[in-house]
Amino acid sequence: MPDMRNPVYVEEKLAEIEASGRLDYRSDSLPTWCPGCGYYAMTEGLTSALNRLGIAQKDVVVVSGIGCASRFPFFMRTYGFHTLHGRVLPVATGVKLANDSLHVIAIGGDGDGFAIGGGHISHAARRNLDCTYLLFDNGIYGLTKGQTSPTSVVGFRTKTSPYENRDEPLNPLMMLLSYGASWVGQAYAGRPHHLADMIAAAIDHRGFSYLHILSPCVTFDKTTKTYQNLNVQVRDLPSDHDPSDLMAAMALAADTNRPALGLYFRASRPTLDENLDRIVEAAGGPLPPDRQRDRQSATR
Amino acid sequence: MAVTDIQISICGSAGDGTIAAGDILKTTMARIGYRVIAFDLYPAEIRGFGKCISRTRITSDQVYSMKQQSDVLVSLDDGHTIPHVGEVRDYGAVIYDSFPITMLPEGGHISGHIKPGQIPYGLPIREISERATSSSRSRNIVALGFVAGAYGLPADAFRETIAAKFKTKAASVTEANIAAFDAGYEIGADTFRLDFVSFSEPPETKVEGADVVMMSGNAAVARGCLDAGIDTYFGYPITPATTIMERLASEMPKQGARLLQTEDEISAIAATIGAGYAGARAATATSGPGLALMAEMLGLGVMAEVPAVVIVSQRGGPSTGMPTKTEQSDLHLAVFGGAGDAQRIVLAPTNVEGCYRCAGKAFEMAERYQTPVVVLMDLYLSNRLETVNLPRVSPFAAGLSKDVEADTPAGTYQRFAITDDLVSPRALPGQADRMHTVTGLEHNESGRPSDQAAVHIEMSRKRHEKLKAALDHPDITICKRFGDEGPVDVGLLCWGSTFGESLEAMMKAQDEGIRCSAMKVVMLSPLPLDRILAFFEDCREVLVPELNYEGQFANLVTAATGRPVHRLNQVTGMPMRVEDILERIRALAAPPSRSAAE
Repeated sequence: MPDMRNPVYVEEKLAEIEASGRLDYRSDSLPTWCPGCGYYAMTEGLTSALNRLGIAQKDVVVVSGIGCASRFPFFMRTYGFHTLHGRVLPVATGVKLANDSLHVIAIGGDGDGFAIGGGHISHAARRNLDCTYLLFDNGIYGLTKGQTSPTSVVGFRTKTSPYENRDEPLNPLMMLLSYGASWVGQAYAGRPHHLADMIAAAIDHRGFSYLHILSPCVTFDKTTKTYQNLNVQVRDLPSDHDPSDLMAAMALAADTNRPALGLYFRASRPTLDENLDRIVEAAGGPLPPDRQRDRQSATR
Repeated sequence: MAVTDIQISICGSAGDGTIAAGDILKTTMARIGYRVIAFDLYPAEIRGFGKCISRTRITSDQVYSMKQQSDVLVSLDDGHTIPHVGEVRDYGAVIYDSFPITMLPEGGHISGHIKPGQIPYGLPIREISERATSSSRSRNIVALGFVAGAYGLPADAFRETIAAKFKTKAASVTEANIAAFDAGYEIGADTFRLDFVSFSEPPETKVEGADVVMMSGNAAVARGCLDAGIDTYFGYPITPATTIMERLASEMPKQGARLLQTEDEISAIAATIGAGYAGARAATATSGPGLALMAEMLGLGVMAEVPAVVIVSQRGGPSTGMPTKTEQSDLHLAVFGGAGDAQRIVLAPTNVEGCYRCAGKAFEMAERYQTPVVVLMDLYLSNRLETVNLPRVSPFAAGLSKDVEADTPAGTYQRFAITDDLVSPRALPGQADRMHTVTGLEHNESGRPSDQAAVHIEMSRKRHEKLKAALDHPDITICKRFGDEGPVDVGLLCWGSTFGESLEAMMKAQDEGIRCSAMKVVMLSPLPLDRILAFFEDCREVLVPELNYEGQFANLVTAATGRPVHRLNQVTGMPMRVEDILERIRALAAPPSRSAAE
């Protein structure tokens, strides 16, 4: 409910947003999403995170697959590559290895990532590809107008599961933790400020950062992952959770009835581009000075 | 100066050292200045007692195929070699073990199969090996020494090759092998020899600005990538392309470049496209089954106008097919594979040196015309060895990308602007004020998705017509005619490795008085149509020899020209036989009433 004692005026809010500089990261294209779609929060979250981190637009490449979420690059004033269904991470791998100085943001939905693209995630994670993977999970195929996805709940009725979905949903957080992702977190479109903070932290991590974002599909899912349901289900991670404790993170991720928001796991290890530089050094090949062994790792 | 043209075959069972002896032979002959072309056959299985044949053709001048008949055949295993005795020409030599280790059943010894006119040389190969090295394991080297001695080849050159080959092993290994070689050589040198097989002095091999080296097609492709300044390679192992990746894995880091073994071919091409988008010279290599997986991503490369090089070595198909046999049955996939009107550049080298040139030029073209470029080879080209002239300075140009004019105001840049040559100025991620998004969706000049008819029509034209300029790309032969000029009775229209056998067949036909030409077409897409049509004008009959069932190149050419062709198709898994092509040439050269075109 709005707080009537502290009213927000549209003009003031607009002036504040314009002054922040975050609109510089937005293109002049209007998003193609339905009114109320959780993905608007992602747009606001990513632009404010990039603005806060002070990353220049020219140094950002937003790579996406195919799906509602994957339309994202068109709404950004950065470099963008809208690729093929399921192939966001392999393309992101090529972009990053061609130019280390780029900040690569990979974006896709639950179908794009865990159905058709499921074979790629484990490898991007184990190699510690230095990119941020924002996975928008609405548990449904929206762009093709409402079919079951790998994260749809059992019992969900869609146009391709008219007698109810009987396939157990995947648990993306547990998968990413076991794949060796070096940063795993969860956020929710209904908590946009926390979401923006998590996106900023994910981008700030050197290595493969995976942010799972719960987001309702207001058009094709009126019963399961709605704002009403998620608002009561989500909780914060316990304040005493230690993000270096992989097993504790796994236990928290296993609880799908009460999805916990926050940073599950974080580790520091060499990234893919750093490892490839070590191979060049082992072969006696040339490396620019800023990529030689004494280069600072861990955090940016 | 007399001309040397001798083919030596060594045949044995896996484990006999057949391929190793052949390697020493061809390396040495290339070292002392002969031209060498060689193609080994071995079973798909790593272990077992499969048949291995190493064939080496040694010549004074450059040749383009193996001979159908060998001058010398060495048997290390009679069971495997007997079926090949017929491949030895009249007055050619058959060298075999006269004292095999076991009693053989009737007909089991090769001496009973040597044909009248062939010259048998039986020597106790095993015994000589045992006497020289206390082991029967050096039979292959003894036999090699005998060949070298009998034909008066320089022993020191062989000893150097043997020492180099075993330099990582214990010194005793090298000593034993040289002892075995010397023992064989001594006997060979003392043997009475008929001069039907003889070597003349090796030719002068100095080539201005180039080294003459012996390499395989895969090694040549890898060298082409390196000389073109490859930045990134992404690949997944598949026969027969794997050795390209293996070679690049050791060489690329020495140039500061990056190679990654991906989880599958889809990932390999996707990362290649991603790297190409970000400005790298990027490549991947695969075979037919991998190319099938890559087809969708190739379409994205076409649509988003991203440079990428895809090297494809064909093998027997469809599906897993015959991984260690050669075939030319992925032409349709390479030229047309994928969704929609996705025209790309396809280059098909015809020999090992062509593999080097096409690989390097593919990077130039990908960058210049902003498109995926497929280099289409086959197992026969990948694995065969040839002496090639390798330039000491890279002949490939860098920095061919069409940059955005510096004075283009911020906010006005259009990634897919329609220009005079239909290639749009390209900005790379990291460049200020040039931010844009590329997509696999149809899009307008600024890159925004659009499905309007006018946009799709104009952009389809752009994507197709911009590639025509590649037909005039500098310093590459995209099409060339050989043999008789002017009107001819029979013209051979060829692509890929089959061109070598076709050229030999053409020369033999000319010797028989038939007016004959052969044209090799290196650029299969876009097709050099004018020159192919001009060739048709000169030829009474056109024959297209290729290693696939229906004639994929014949289909391509007849569809593009509307002209009928004769087809010669084989799916034996082996290179085409020169004699088979010659037979068709003779039939077609006969009065026209006897052979109507399709």
